[in-house]
This record gives sequence, C-alpha cells and structure tokens, in this order.
Amino acid sequence: MARDDRNPTLLALTSSALLLPVYQGASADAPPEFTEVGVRYSRYKEDDILGRNAFGGGSERYKIDVAQFRMLAPVADDWSFALDVAWEDMSGASPWFVGQVAGQSPKVIMSGASIEDTRTEVSGTTRYYYDRGNAGLSLTYSDENDYESKAIALDGALNSDDGMTTYSAAISTADDHIDPTQGSVPTNTLSATKDVSSAWVGVTRIVSQRALVRFGVSYTYREGFLTDPYKYKDRRPDERKEWTVGAGYRYFFEEQNAAVHIDYRYFNDDWDVQSHTVDVAWYQNFGQDTIVTPFIRYYTQHEAEFFSNLLDEQARYFADDYRLAAFGAFSYGVRLSHELGNWSVNLDAERYRTDESWGVFSGEVSPGLVDFWRYGVGLNYVFR
Amino acid sequence: MQRIEHSFKAMGGPCRLRLETNEGVDATVAIAAATEEIQRLEHKYSRYLDSSLTSKINRAAGTGTPVSIDDETAGLLNYANTAWRESDGLFDLTSGVLRRAWDFKSGRCPEQSEVVALLPLVGWELVQWDINSVYLPRPRMELDFGGCVKEYAADSAAMQLRRHGVSSALVDLSGDMAAVGTPAGLEGWPVGIRHPEKKDAAIAQVWFPEGGLASSGDYERCLEIDNQRYSHILHPLTGWPTTQGLVAVTVMAQQCLVAGSSATIAMLKPLDEALQWLNELGLPWLAIDGELECHGSLR
Repeated sequence: MARDDRNPTLLALTSSALLLPVYQGASADAPPEFTEVGVRYSRYKEDDILGRNAFGGGSERYKIDVAQFRMLAPVADDWSFALDVAWEDMSGASPWFVGQVAGQSPKVIMSGASIEDTRTEVSGTTRYYYDRGNAGLSLTYSDENDYESKAIALDGALNSDDGMTTYSAAISTADDHIDPTQGSVPTNTLSATKDVSSAWVGVTRIVSQRALVRFGVSYTYREGFLTDPYKYKDRRPDERKEWTVGAGYRYFFEEQNAAVHIDYRYFNDDWDVQSHTVDVAWYQNFGQDTIVTPFIRYYTQHEAEFFSNLLDEQARYFADDYRLAAFGAFSYGVRLSHELGNWSVNLDAERYRTDESWGVFSGEVSPGLVDFWRYGVGLNYVFR
Repeated sequence: MQRIEHSFKAMGGPCRLRLETNEGVDATVAIAAATEEIQRLEHKYSRYLDSSLTSKINRAAGTGTPVSIDDETAGLLNYANTAWRESDGLFDLTSGVLRRAWDFKSGRCPEQSEVVALLPLVGWELVQWDINSVYLPRPRMELDFGGCVKEYAADSAAMQLRRHGVSSALVDLSGDMAAVGTPAGLEGWPVGIRHPEKKDAAIAQVWFPEGGLASSGDYERCLEIDNQRYSHILHPLTGWPTTQGLVAVTVMAQQCLVAGSSATIAMLKPLDEALQWLNELGLPWLAIDGELECHGSLR
C-alpha cells in the first residue's frame, strides 16, 4: 500500500470522494502487492504462585517462549498464499489439584516437577480475492509431545454494493489427539480424542467518514475428551456448546490523528460459564510511520456449574481448574509499531492480573488464579 | 486482444470510450453499461432537463419545502461541501446562477449592476442540506452540479467497465477522463493537452496511468473583449471571471472527481497562488499561463 503522505486538502477531497457509493466498489479487495516476511519472538510468563495459595510454599508457574515466522505472498492477480510457522517451548509447573486443611482456606498442589514440552505449528492459508470480497482456506497442523491437532478453516467476506457494509462468515473444524506424557503426575487418560467445530458470522458497517461498527455471533461445539488429563480427578462433560455475541465501534479523531476502538463480547456455554469482555484501545499515530496503542481489557467470568475447590466423589463432573472459576481480570499494555522504509518493527507488552473480587459474578474463590506478563518483539520486511 | 472505440454525445460534449478487451469479456455489454451510467447521471443532474433532480431542487428554491435526496446526491453534496471548505469558498455549486449575467455566446460583457444583483443568490453556506434532503432558501437560487458531475460520471462509467471485466479502458467525457488500467505495453494512455489558442493542436502530451484526469481551461466558452479574455469560470465572491490566473490546467488524481475540482479551484486563483496551491496539493499537474508558458510536474 502506498503510504499516506498527502497534503491535508487532498486527503479531505479524496476521503469525501470515497464516501460516494461508486468509489466504494473501487476499493475492491486486492491481494497483497508484494511478498512480506516477518519474524517474532514473544514470551508468556506467569507470576509465581504465592505461598499462601499453595501447599509446599510458593513456586514457579508456567512459561512459554514463542518464535514465529510468517510469509505472505501474492501468487497470481487475485490469489495470495500465507505460511505461518510457530515454535513454542513450554516449561514450569501448573496446579495439579486443590486441597484444603480443616480451618484453612483451599490451596493448590502444584504438579511439582517441571513440565517440559515443545510445540510446532504449521499453517498454510490461500486466499482468493474477488470483486467484492475475498475467501480463504487454511490448513493447520500442530504437534507437541502429548498433543496433535489438525484443523481446517474456511472464511469469506462480501462487500455490499455501496461498499459500506461487509458481511463475513467462517467455519472451522479441528481433530485433536491427546497422549498425555506419563511420569510427572498420574494422568486421567492414556489416549483420547476431541473434535472442535466452530462457525462465525459478522457484519461491519461504515457509518460515517470516521466511524465504523461491527457485530458478530459465533457458535462452537466441542466433543470428546474435554477433561484436563493432568488435573487430578478432573472430569468434565464430553460435550460443550459455546455461543458468543460481540460488537465493536471504531472512531477516528482527525485532530488527534488517533482512533479509539471499543469492543464488547458476551460468552455463554452449557457448562454455565458466562463471561463479559470489554476492550478499549487508543491507536495514536505519530506522523506516517509510528503507531502507539495503549489498551485495557476487562474480563469477568461466571464459574462452571461443576467447579469446586472440594472434590465430591459422588458428583458426575468435577473441576477445580481456576480457569473455570468465577473471577475478574484486568489486562493492560501498550503496542508500538514503527515503519522504516521496507522494514517495520513491532513491540508489545501486556500485564494481566486477576482477582476474585474484580468479578461481577460471585463464586468459590480459586487459589490457583493466575497473573502473567506477555511481551514480544517482531520484525517485518516487504520485498518492494 | 481486441481494441474497440465508441463515440457518442452526452453531458453537452463529445464522449469516447476506448477499450482493450481480452477474450471472454463482452465489450458490447460493458460499453452499454458505461454509456447507460453516463445517461443516468445526465438525466438525474442536468440543469437543462425539467425532469432532473437538479431542476426539482431549483424549482423548490425559496418555497419552504426541502427536496428529498438519495445517498448518491448526499455524497455529491458532501463532496462539494469539502471542496468549498478546502478552497475557501472558490468551489461553489451555487455560482452557476451568475451565468444569467454572463452570456458567453453574445460576446457582451455584463454591467456590474447585473452581476451585483445576482450575488445574493450565490453562497454555498446558505444551502440547507443533510443526508436526506436539500433546500435552497432564497427564490431563484440554483444548484448546478456541472462543476462535478461530468467528472463523477467519468469515474462511474469506468467503474461499470471494471465491473464488466474490462481491465484496460479510457473514458473521455470531453476532456474529463477516467482510466481503467493501461493500454497493452504502455505506461499509460497518451493524452494530448490542447493548445489554448490553436484548436485541434496539442501543447503537450502526457501519459495517463490508471485513475482520473481533468482539465479546465479558457479555450471553450470564453469571452474576449478588448483583448481581455474572460474565463467561463466565474468567481463566486465577485461574480467575475479571474483574469490574472491560469489559461488552462490539467490535474491527475485517483478520481476524476478530485482531479476536476482541483483544476477548477486552481483556475479561480491568481497565477502565483494557483501554482503554489497545485504544488502543495502534490498531484501531477500541468498548467499554462497567459504567456502560454507551461508549469507543473507533468511537463
């Protein structure tokens, strides 16, 4: 894409012209003009669990180092191909189960010995661009010591005649195979499978020269072994149906040369988990080449109906996994992107903090709630 | 590959479509769609046709009843508003009413009193409009889309050609042009820039790649009295043509609409200001001054 270093009068004239219906068709979806390659390194690091929340004292938790490679290339006039490869190195301990000593609050027992695993994911996407939209097909294969996943996804977008509205839809299905690594903790299964299918539809509408709204709904169906093989006595239903409804608003402030993005998402499933997510991000441009984006996200979740810190042997289903507990979380951070000729560099840092008292739903307090840091650096090059 | 040319008259001048089509593209269907689009816009916006929307808006001037408009018209008014604002009032869709005093065919210069009498009817800021309706508050006020509709029609016709699979074509509506792609083996469409004084001669030739090209000049419809050329482009604030400005200007932009209004605005400015404004705009341009000297990035 040509960079916008145009004079303000020309920008004003051009952007007013582009609001006319006829020019909307002109911005027909087009494949990338040039080949782009990018590399990225990021780290996800959970805070140590505190001594008061764990038997055996505070301990280190999970850490993931991720290296990614991406290549996006035009193939023909209206096709593109993208290759994504990711390597992950995971290590650390995670909660094994929750226990309680009479008169004390529940604490977690960590998995003890460090889990070590590596994951490799390869994904290829081909995309076809037509007059009023584009459609993509992607195949993904992911492999780690104890897990293998094959997925296929199809998505498409269609722009309305006046170009002001875009309808999008996607479907995907994944076939996963689990072979838990034996040794560190007794596992819940020796071998199992699960299938995940998902569908999404959305609509985006340009409501004015500076504003855009979007709306989307999705449905996901999971079937098979949905239990965590490494969590003691974890027993979950072998089916999970999830729905989400989301809406977003973008507004560009011309004077500030910045845009605000506000997004909301509601999630609900038949395990009685519900959640609300609110995202607010401020995209501040500095000149033509630099964007600094501070953001904040609030998340609150209702616990799953079978979540409990205390094991009930009679219950059909049981999980003491903190991810199924009631809690609230804030995450905040900043992303920076800077272009330098054919190069661009991206930096980001995010802090995520949870607390049961931040949630709007009440429930049993999980001692395993996690806080983490995530940060990354990426470099892209465009062969122009 | 097939080369096809289709000439016809529309919007008060000669029009031409040039296509280079590959097999599998029905050129006749594409040409029909493009010409129909031009006719549609002419019927909708011509001030000479009683049945047009423009005539309806003008008849309603001062009656107290706003006229309903569609998205396309609202888009054109919004564009005209931006051009008016960005040109400090030089680009004004209400200035057409000044033609009542200026009869370029008669060769007569109007009395100052005739011009002054019309000035209260000129002023975009008076127009009451929103996305659903438009209203001219003073009787005899007029909207004239002539300042943008031919350019817009060239873009729209080019879009019709694209929609019908044409990848290389030039739409030329008496000098307002829109290009789809480039001709085979060339970096653009060769366009001759007309000599201001010699009819049918070119003062320069430019290569026009994809996008829009528009020219504005004194060669047509101009008035010459006592060796003073009076441009047909009338200044909305004085009611008189700009006499110390450019003789002709050609601008290229992504859209012929933007090229056209940029050229019009340049023609209304005094020479030095016009050259500076065109330079700052950053679009490719070619301007000719009263000494027939060429300026601009397209030389």
